[in-house]
Amino acid sequence: MGRLRQKGKAGAAKAYVTRSQAIKKLQCSLADFRRLCILKGIFPREPKNKKRANKGSSAPATFYYAKDIAYIAHEPVLKKLREHKAFAKKLSRALGRGEWSSANSLEENKPVYRLDHIIKERYPTFIDAVRDIDDALCMVFLFASLPSTSRVPPSLTENCARLAAEWQLYIMHTRSLLKVFFSIKGIYYQADVMDQTVTWLVPYQFTQNIPSDVDVRVMLTFLELYQTLLGFVFFKLYTDAGLVYPPPLDAKKDEGAAGVGAFSLQEVQKSTFRPLVKGVDGNGRAVSSRDVRQTIKSIAASDSVSASADTSAPIVESIPGDVDEEFVPHPSRTDDQDASSLPTLHTLSTLPKPVSANIFAPCTFWISRETSRGIFEFLVRCFGGRIGWPASSGSGSPFDEDDDSITHVVIDRPLVEKPGETTEQRDRRLRRKYVQPQWVADCINAGRILLEEPYTQGKELPPHLSPFADHVEAYNPVAQPNIDDAEMAEVENDQESEKDHGVDGSDDDMSEQKSSAKQFVVEDAEDPAALRVAELAAEAAGVDYGTFEKGMNRLQKKAKAVPGMEQQDAEENMNKMLMSNRQRKLYEKIKYSEKKRAAERQKLEARRHTLDKEKKRKAKT
Amino acid sequence: MASNESKNDLKKKRKQIQEEPEEEELSQAVGLEMLSDEEGDVSAASDDGEVDEFPEINAASDSESDDDGENEEKDEDEERDSDEEDEDDEETDSDNEINPFPQAKTIISDITKQPKRVFPEIEPDYDSDSSTEDDPNRIGNVPLHWYDDLPHIGYDMNGKQIFRPARGDELDKFLDTVEDPKSWMSAFDKSLQMDKPLTAEELDIIRRLQANEVPDVGYDPYEPTVEWFTGKGKEEKMPLSAAPEPKRRWVPSKWEKKKARETIIRAIRQGRIVPSKPNSAQPQFYSIWNEPTDSQHPPPLPAPKPALPTNAESYNPPEEYLPTEEERQEWEAQDKEDRERNFLPQKYGALRLVPAYGQFIQERFSRQLDLYMAPRIQRRRLQIDPDSLIPKLPSPSSLKPFPSYRGLWFTHGKGRARCLSVSLDGAWVVSGDEGGVVSLWEVTVGREVKRWTFSGKIGSLEWCPRTDVSFFVVGVEGHLHFVIPPNLPSGVLTVTQSLLAPGTLPPPPATPSPVKWVSSSSSASLDDPILTLQLPALSGLPGQITWHRRGDYLASVSNSEGEGSVWIHQISRRHSQAPFKKVKGSIQMVLFHPSRPEFFVATQRYVRMYNLAEQKLLKTLMPGIKWISSMDVHPSGDHLIVGGYDRKLCWFDLELSDKPYKNLRHVRYHTKAIRSLHFHPTYPLFASSSDDGTIQIFHARVYNDLMTDPLIVPLKILRGHDIKDGLGVLQVRWCGGQPWLASAGADGKVAVWCS
Repeated sequence: MGRLRQKGKAGAAKAYVTRSQAIKKLQCSLADFRRLCILKGIFPREPKNKKRANKGSSAPATFYYAKDIAYIAHEPVLKKLREHKAFAKKLSRALGRGEWSSANSLEENKPVYRLDHIIKERYPTFIDAVRDIDDALCMVFLFASLPSTSRVPPSLTENCARLAAEWQLYIMHTRSLLKVFFSIKGIYYQADVMDQTVTWLVPYQFTQNIPSDVDVRVMLTFLELYQTLLGFVFFKLYTDAGLVYPPPLDAKKDEGAAGVGAFSLQEVQKSTFRPLVKGVDGNGRAVSSRDVRQTIKSIAASDSVSASADTSAPIVESIPGDVDEEFVPHPSRTDDQDASSLPTLHTLSTLPKPVSANIFAPCTFWISRETSRGIFEFLVRCFGGRIGWPASSGSGSPFDEDDDSITHVVIDRPLVEKPGETTEQRDRRLRRKYVQPQWVADCINAGRILLEEPYTQGKELPPHLSPFADHVEAYNPVAQPNIDDAEMAEVENDQESEKDHGVDGSDDDMSEQKSSAKQFVVEDAEDPAALRVAELAAEAAGVDYGTFEKGMNRLQKKAKAVPGMEQQDAEENMNKMLMSNRQRKLYEKIKYSEKKRAAERQKLEARRHTLDKEKKRKAKT
Repeated sequence: MASNESKNDLKKKRKQIQEEPEEEELSQAVGLEMLSDEEGDVSAASDDGEVDEFPEINAASDSESDDDGENEEKDEDEERDSDEEDEDDEETDSDNEINPFPQAKTIISDITKQPKRVFPEIEPDYDSDSSTEDDPNRIGNVPLHWYDDLPHIGYDMNGKQIFRPARGDELDKFLDTVEDPKSWMSAFDKSLQMDKPLTAEELDIIRRLQANEVPDVGYDPYEPTVEWFTGKGKEEKMPLSAAPEPKRRWVPSKWEKKKARETIIRAIRQGRIVPSKPNSAQPQFYSIWNEPTDSQHPPPLPAPKPALPTNAESYNPPEEYLPTEEERQEWEAQDKEDRERNFLPQKYGALRLVPAYGQFIQERFSRQLDLYMAPRIQRRRLQIDPDSLIPKLPSPSSLKPFPSYRGLWFTHGKGRARCLSVSLDGAWVVSGDEGGVVSLWEVTVGREVKRWTFSGKIGSLEWCPRTDVSFFVVGVEGHLHFVIPPNLPSGVLTVTQSLLAPGTLPPPPATPSPVKWVSSSSSASLDDPILTLQLPALSGLPGQITWHRRGDYLASVSNSEGEGSVWIHQISRRHSQAPFKKVKGSIQMVLFHPSRPEFFVATQRYVRMYNLAEQKLLKTLMPGIKWISSMDVHPSGDHLIVGGYDRKLCWFDLELSDKPYKNLRHVRYHTKAIRSLHFHPTYPLFASSSDDGTIQIFHARVYNDLMTDPLIVPLKILRGHDIKDGLGVLQVRWCGGQPWLASAGADGKVAVWCS
């Protein structure tokens, strides 16, 4: 006999804890627990056996891994949250007693937590972080457009707007935008950053208010994490691209609603690289003579071993100095060697992109004032085009409307005849191409400049299709309908006749006719004599020849299709009897989803067919 | 009162007197020391009477005299006397022994191997008591002031008076101290009332005391510690006390904190510490991914990304995506959670017309809720071709022959065709209906040859499996009738008649059976049964009759409850017996094993297998069926199929287990209760019939080697019987020798299905 096993000491009962148990263990409030879960990326788990995990109780509960909770228990942020709780109590007491000075000093020493270590834990490598910034970008773009309220301070909105602009700047700089899709929800963008496809959704430029059924606290906690994450990601992206982060903001331009243009991208100069990094380190430590000596030594060493040059620089900075001395940074020779010999990220990112990244290079755009400037400035500049805008859309346009270089005008209003037009204006109008905004997106998705003709001002636009791949069997609106008309017609007729049967009953002569037609056709279609007899019979019954022939064709098709297929089908159906229960369930599940997809596709195809027919009818009349 | 006052005065006086000499003594003592230190050698010879005062620095004596408070002069003298006596004692000690203290020897201990001091043993003899030492004054321990007024100071050993030695006045004393250089080395002996010189040891002790040293020469206060209980190798494993660790061990000291605060405050005041320094410890963003991570904890799995938008979400989708009015209404009527899409496709003529999406923030929020509140499971997406899940079985067309179409109908006039039986050669069928009609007809053409009419329902019919005789048994209410078909060859007929109605009856059994065997006269026509078994009263309709393979025994199962439902009849001995004394549950069916003396009994839930020879239970099969309706045993005898009213069919491998080898209960199988099962005696086929009006034909191949599983292939579903009152096909039987099937339906028809 083995050792007695006590209940609840091993297995699921030990591996899972419910949420209330977790809160009790962490000694924090539910709100704090939620905050921690959001920040640490810990989510509930579904145990295989709920009853076993809940120690025999079948009450509904949320389960977490006990190890995850133990992991949170050591979290510095949790400590800070506890400190903050104490601080809040102290502050409220000080305020209640009217001790303003102590309240002031408390407020100054308010415990603040940092999320750096959490970012590092959640995303051990940079690629992990880039893979996961989709949601972060969506949130930041959303909050950048929210009006400030008591819960959303203006500084937050400002920071989000800054991050959004920095991201757009980076995408424009690296020309990494792949696809764009105008949806009813907003605009989807897809970019390729560090070989990761990043998709983000930007709402249309309207003022949105946070609805009452949304918990803002949760959103703000997420935003807190996302802001930090994006900050670190952008820092890395910018420095890898050889740019200064954060890009300096021109306040005057910003006031003039220059948008993205208010930021200026600065290349990191080689000579100033060291101090810049140091400035970024921000500890303001001076460099000692010892450091200098060490640096020289490291440089000397790097002459022989060039690989060590990269590591030497951070080491130098990490040693605290005590004697103030001027340090003149000399770029090491190895740096240059590296840059020339090995392909670095910087050189890779500045490599010429394929042609599709520069499709708008030969074009110069002018945006009409009713189109959103932010969107099209971003899109056009991502693909190498020049763009200008009227002053009403913001300052900073590189050229004005009279510029002769303008080739395309993105305009989104109905065509209006302008009576008082000078010849010059007319010439200019004829020289330029007036296209609707969808043209820009469709060009980007197609990867080439499309014909402007279907998109010209005032025309009915061709449908705007999603550039994102759907599943393979999905309905493709571009493909030619593969079902021939006759068959579709038959399907319709069938449906109609069924309807007739169902609705009108037997006294409808049309339905009678049809049923009679079927009756006649029942005879063997292969035999020409029999066919002739059936035809005559049909005629006698007053069925017109067209209907008869149609019925005939259909029957023939069915006759061809049915026997082999049906037999095989029947066999398979019989074989299903011997499937095991599990296999049968799986089979049914797969079949169900297949059927559903097929039905969806068929529905769309049928609808398209009717629409086409209607169009044809209209065109005829 | 007056006396009190005088006393007080006296006290004051005495105090004054007492304080004066003390001061003197102190100064002298100091002076003495100086002498001894500086010019010890020079003044070695000087002897002074004053020295005797030296040991008298004793506060206790003063207080004692205070308490007495009678005569100050006397007191003082007496004190002095006693002191002197003490001194004398010491002197005598030193005189008697060379060393007043026992000299310690340092030896190496045997046990600890450490040096230790050993003192000489004290001999407990008469001399060891210092009180009996050789003191010349033998007055004992009495106050000396008793002798103050007397010329002697005590008595010696012989009782002679010891006279008070002559003592000079103060001047003589002073002169002594001046003249005798050794006077400081002597002390006053009280008992002898004279000065006695101190020994060298005593002087040494005095010197040591004055120098604040340890008086004992041999004592070393700084000897090395001997670690008896501590040190390496002697650590105690267990704590000496079970008291919990006191809080003060780990709580930071409050006092130290106070001190530290003081120093910090001082430092702040001096400007060494700046209290509110702007904290610019770390920049907001830095290159965090430069160093490899040191976290042991694996990072959480990346959250699944939301699905990318399809064409339906476009602001200008193809028109076929736009919902119709009904779809729109249906979508709006649905709950938010049930909707397949969270938006309705819409078409706008121009981008400028597209409004803000109202649900944008809600959707972001629900995504976040998904991220942190929804349990996540890593699912492996199955890339299975669903058709690969269907077992690959040989095609039915390769397993021919099997019945596939209806050969002929035979219609019973009224009532349901309840039962049928096919003759051993497969040429004749008898079928019985609920109207009591039993028809004999040919399989090939369906021509009725003869018809018998019995009273009441026909419960069962069965041909005798013997080849040399030909008759069948009809079960009706309470009776089993043995009927001989017409047109038999004469040889067979006589054998049959002699079997069923023998001329000489076998001897009646020892224990009379409640079943009566009644033979009609052999000369009677074939219209009447030749033999009738009268089952006991209330035994009901025999629903099943089954023959042993030899054709001598037959078992009948009636639909009554209890032990009287099953009977085994033996033709040759014309004897019936009930095999079960006590039966658990109602018996549904019984079967003889085709080769072994075994007997299957199906109760409502279980099938029990008995050995008839040994009369014991072999095993109980558990098909897991709620109510067993039918069963049949494979001709090989190793397999059994059991069907139930709950549409389930179980295949048992009797060698393998008492659990089913295969269960058939699926969508494609019978949709209603199974009524009858039958194995073909020669072909690898079996058929099942059901209340859904269908008959299913299976190929069931059983292999001789034990390793290969039996192969079961569904072959054909035969439809044609109508369902009447919820009943479909009630019995199926194979025609021996042909792959043909005969089936009796509730619609009163009997069909023959041919291959």
